[in-house]
Amino acid sequence: MRSSRTPAWTLALLGALACNEARAAHVTVEVKTANGTAAAAAIVVIDAVDASAAPGHDKAVVDQVNKQFDPQINVVRTGSTIVFPNHDQIHHQVYSFSDAKRFELDLHAGSRNASEVFDKPGLVVLGCNIHDRMLAFVAVVDSPYFMKLPATGSGEFDLPPGHYTVSAWHPDLGVVAKQPLTVESQDSRVSLTLRTSADFDPVAAWPE
Amino acid sequence: MQLRTRIALTFSILLTVALGTALAVVSLATQDIKERTVAHEVGNFGTAFQALLEANRRELTEAAHSVTDDFAVKQQIAVRDSATLASTLDNSVCRIARANLSTGAAPYPPCEAALAQSRIDGVLSVLTTLNGTVMASYGSALEPGQPFPHLAEILASKQPQSAFIVENGRLYQIVIVDVRSPLRVAWLIMGFELGAKTIAELRKNSLLDVTLRTVMPDGRTQVRSTLPDGAGRTQRPAVYPIALSGSATMELSPTGMLLEEATKPFDELRNQLAWLAVLSLLATAAAGFWLARNITKPLENLTRAVAHIRAGRYDTEVTVERHDELGTLAEGLQLMQAEVHDRDQRIRRLAYQDAVTGLMNRTAFVECVTAALADRRGPVAVVLFNLQRFRRINEHLGYEVGDAVLRQVAERLTGAPGREDGGVVAVARLGADEFAAMTALGSAADAERWGMRLLGRLSDPVVVDAQPIDISATAGAAVAPTDSEDAEQLLVCADLALQSARGEKRSFALYRASLKPATRDQLSLLGELTQAIARDELKLHFQPQIELATGRVAGAEVLMRWQHPQRGLLGPLAFIPFAEQTGFIRRLTQWVLDHAIAQAADWYRRGVSLPIAVNISADDLADMQLDLRVAAALQQHGLPPNLLTLEVTESGFIDNPARALKMLETLATLGVRLSIDDFGTGYSSLSHLARMPVDEVKIDRSFVIGLEADAEFATVVRSAIEMGHNLGLKVVAEGIETETSAQRLRAMHCDIAQGYLYAQPMPGAAIEQWLRDPRRIPLAVAPIPTPAQMPTSTATATLLRSRSSR
Repeated sequence: MRSSRTPAWTLALLGALACNEARAAHVTVEVKTANGTAAAAAIVVIDAVDASAAPGHDKAVVDQVNKQFDPQINVVRTGSTIVFPNHDQIHHQVYSFSDAKRFELDLHAGSRNASEVFDKPGLVVLGCNIHDRMLAFVAVVDSPYFMKLPATGSGEFDLPPGHYTVSAWHPDLGVVAKQPLTVESQDSRVSLTLRTSADFDPVAAWPE
Repeated sequence: MQLRTRIALTFSILLTVALGTALAVVSLATQDIKERTVAHEVGNFGTAFQALLEANRRELTEAAHSVTDDFAVKQQIAVRDSATLASTLDNSVCRIARANLSTGAAPYPPCEAALAQSRIDGVLSVLTTLNGTVMASYGSALEPGQPFPHLAEILASKQPQSAFIVENGRLYQIVIVDVRSPLRVAWLIMGFELGAKTIAELRKNSLLDVTLRTVMPDGRTQVRSTLPDGAGRTQRPAVYPIALSGSATMELSPTGMLLEEATKPFDELRNQLAWLAVLSLLATAAAGFWLARNITKPLENLTRAVAHIRAGRYDTEVTVERHDELGTLAEGLQLMQAEVHDRDQRIRRLAYQDAVTGLMNRTAFVECVTAALADRRGPVAVVLFNLQRFRRINEHLGYEVGDAVLRQVAERLTGAPGREDGGVVAVARLGADEFAAMTALGSAADAERWGMRLLGRLSDPVVVDAQPIDISATAGAAVAPTDSEDAEQLLVCADLALQSARGEKRSFALYRASLKPATRDQLSLLGELTQAIARDELKLHFQPQIELATGRVAGAEVLMRWQHPQRGLLGPLAFIPFAEQTGFIRRLTQWVLDHAIAQAADWYRRGVSLPIAVNISADDLADMQLDLRVAAALQQHGLPPNLLTLEVTESGFIDNPARALKMLETLATLGVRLSIDDFGTGYSSLSHLARMPVDEVKIDRSFVIGLEADAEFATVVRSAIEMGHNLGLKVVAEGIETETSAQRLRAMHCDIAQGYLYAQPMPGAAIEQWLRDPRRIPLAVAPIPTPAQMPTSTATATLLRSRSSR
């Protein structure tokens, strides 16, 4: 709104100044579903175009409660470790045949805190050998800029000015393929709408 | 067409139609039940087939899940271990095969053997990626990495869980199950082949033959069928197709056994019905014929009876021993016959019987004669009788007496001698006083004898209420076939003979041929007579009368001649009897009186005083005006009355003697001379004769003619002459032809003679001439007074005055 009142050359000047100062800008990404509602739990990943990100060593937990993985949608930086506690009174097994991470945790019961390191980017689908209905996704990304959106369907990123791509994904609601995003010193706002189809394959559709 | 045939035919046609309809209905029902049975079987088959498919689907699905749920399989898929996956599929197929082993197979056979011994034709098992790339397969030539061509088709089908595909030349019922780890990562397609074993199994449990038609990818159609090869295959018309997929069809054909089973009871029923139809048709035809005959036979009898009755035979026994309508009809006919018979007889009586005497009437008599003539057994004689005084009996004694007389006459005639005597065969009353009798004769010559004998039976007086009544009859006879061969004609002949007898003053006459011409002419005679007067065809002839003692001319009898234009000169016998019958005689007599008196007056004025004698008939005598007519003629022509003699026959007195006598007396007062003609033939009594104011009697010529030969006749003639003289009358004899007769008569003192011996009748001019002949002895005529001096003429004038003043 402000920019609409300011002459264009003034904005360009200010941007150049900000870039030079390498000050992070405040970018709000808002994702909606195809029918316009807030895409809660959608994963948004922003990749810098020219910068190679160093691996992270984060820790995450995918619990097993009431014969369900919890949370079922996860996003972690490449190199992160995920712990798989079991809070059910029964045995669970955890497996993945995904290319990004192939592993099997033998049947176990209780909080044994078994963990796996997810050191390759990609989408990992988790299942339980004895409970076919149990399903969870772990998105493993290289970029430090990622977020699983809250119920509002929007999230805020502090990004240094530069060129990025932005993508959004949700296993049930659809996907937004990578889109170029240029961040300048000013705060900005990006709106994305998930696209889906009848034969939407969440694995194949993983945008990264 | 005869009623009998028609009835039988109608029955048969009706029954044929009914039975035909029944047969048609049964045939239709048979066809219908056949179709229903087959449809039912097809329905059953469908149910069984669906059950089989469902069982297959379950088994396949279970088997597929046993693969797809295997974590090891998921691992193998994850690592794309095609070889291991293929062996896994092999293993699952082995399990299925063993699970479906037929009974009696070896306990744990090798995989291929197990499959061969199972109920299963074959198994297809293919594991593909989500985009259809084959990872491993069993029962197919598909290699890993190749696309599985049916995936899209299967997923697009309405029931992907139970679809049909044709793979590798075989038809499979397949199920498709996904492999999830945990998301869907692959498809497992598993199927059972629908082949020979399957359709054989299906066929075994139904009465339908099963044919599978599968269109191969190359366009070829593969046929698997339980139908026996050969001709029978094409003779199964009904095919019930079940579409399995776009390229495979299952067809069901009813087996012969099915059709037979389905229609067997109905076929039997139809056959029974056909037999029943034939038998009942025969029975109906026979019954119809019998019934018809039962009706028509009596009808024929009745028809025959009616024909008999129509022909006039009333003795037909109408026999229909029944209690139905026909019996009633027959009874009615019998009654009708009797009533018609009665009526017929009554009519016959009325038509053929005389009511008074009970004799036949004319019609019946003619029929009777006709029948007798038709027999041609011999001569047949017919006699007609006429009762001469019957009219008087009716008038004087009443009709009751008249009827009684008629009845007695009838009795006498019917009681006449029988046939063996040449007697009466039939007697009839033809008219008021006319009877007829017919008989068969031995010969024609017997006719007269027979007729006279019958006549003799009528000679005695009839007694009615103790009162004797004199009847006298005249008879005429004719004989067939001599006189005529026709009954009516024979009667006419007899009648002519009767008239002739009356004319000749005889009681009986036989018909003779000479009567015949008159017969022929009678119809026109009356008209001709009338014309004869107008045309002046009638002539007067005069026959002189000679005084026997002196030979002088005493007078002349006036006789009539008819100068007939066609037939020439006719004597009085040719027309006088007819004129008497018809009443024309009065006109004739008037004419004769006029002309004869005129002639005599003419002669008288010229000095020839010739007395003339004119014949007066009985009919004339009954004419109350006769005296007037005579007086008027005398007055008119101026003839002295004593020159006129009126000759009256005895028959003129028969009907009304008193009146006739009175007329004679009047005539006598005129001064006219009176003479009794044909004296001796009549029946008048002498007492009458004595009282008559007559001057002479004239002995009948029949006596005179017989005078020479028969002594008896001489006695009669002599007696007659003596009687006449005793009564103070002159006696005249006529018909004198020989000198002998003349001498005898002279010897008997007969006064006057007349006949061919002296002169034939001749015209007036001729007798005038004849009289002038000097040989003729002068007339012996009394001195003739002048008309003015004649007292008789005064009497005439007085009579004329008194009568005209009335």
